[in-house]
Amino acid sequence: MEERRYRSASGAPIALRRRQHSASCRELAVRCPRLQLRSLSAVTSAVWLAAYGLFVLSENSMVLSSAIFITLIGLIIYLHFVKIDQESLLVIGSLGIQVTSSYASGKESTTFIEMGQVKDVVINEAIHMQKVIYYLCILLQDPGDPQGVSEVVPLFQSSKPRLDCLIEVYKSCQEILEQRKTVPQSS
Amino acid sequence: ENSPAPLPERAIYGFALFLGSWFGFILYIIWAYVPETWLFSLGLTYWPQKYWAVALPVYLLVAVGIGYILLFGINMMSTAPLNSTDTITDNYAKRQQQKKFQEEAIPALRDISISEVNRMFFLPEK
Repeated sequence: MEERRYRSASGAPIALRRRQHSASCRELAVRCPRLQLRSLSAVTSAVWLAAYGLFVLSENSMVLSSAIFITLIGLIIYLHFVKIDQESLLVIGSLGIQVTSSYASGKESTTFIEMGQVKDVVINEAIHMQKVIYYLCILLQDPGDPQGVSEVVPLFQSSKPRLDCLIEVYKSCQEILEQRKTVPQSS
Repeated sequence: ENSPAPLPERAIYGFALFLGSWFGFILYIIWAYVPETWLFSLGLTYWPQKYWAVALPVYLLVAVGIGYILLFGINMMSTAPLNSTDTITDNYAKRQQQKKFQEEAIPALRDISISEVNRMFFLPEK
């Protein structure tokens, strides 16, 4: 088990943790930076100052209490639905690939793709919001066409690691996926 | 033939456009500034409202400004999302034909699948 530091596409520090459970099972987890106190206090002060400005103009004290409410509810919604703490990839050769996202509030959302559907795990580059980024994605097999790709599942969407981290994850995944060809599958 | 050289016909077109644009501009200034009573006394009664002399340029400039933002937005919307297969392949690449491999000849141009490209780039050959 080892952990290494990398940078995300926007420059934030992220950490990649690799664990080898067995010869054909690996877990790769990318940890995103935690919610910064300075950005939280900046947003809270901005909202509260704006609400105080409105209160001075309108003389209605409901503005202040609703601003406090909005800040609290907004923070809870952000931590539960938006802020991702860790994204992990569990590759089990001959079984499948499991993708887990853990949110800052503790919620975990998991997706499992069985190995028969996985065509390959590749690093693709695409245009995203006026930038060209590298991202890792799982190519799903098209059941009718052995050469075709039916669906693309992008991974590590919120941590967006840079190419050096992606190459490490790619090499680890390919070592396990190569075993599919050498070991004959019984269907 | 289509050459950008100056020709006599082009000089005539240019001069006609120049005169036409000056005429249009003088007409617009007269319509905008000359009071309606003077125009009526000359017998020219069927003209659009003077409101449009101000409204049309404003509409035009606002449309140009919105056009910048709209073009930007249309470009962003037409960009394929990260989970679409358009980032990997398209109809031409799917239907391409494999040409036979000839000895000592440069291989024919074709689209290589992304798995092969990744292996070549990121997996070191031993």
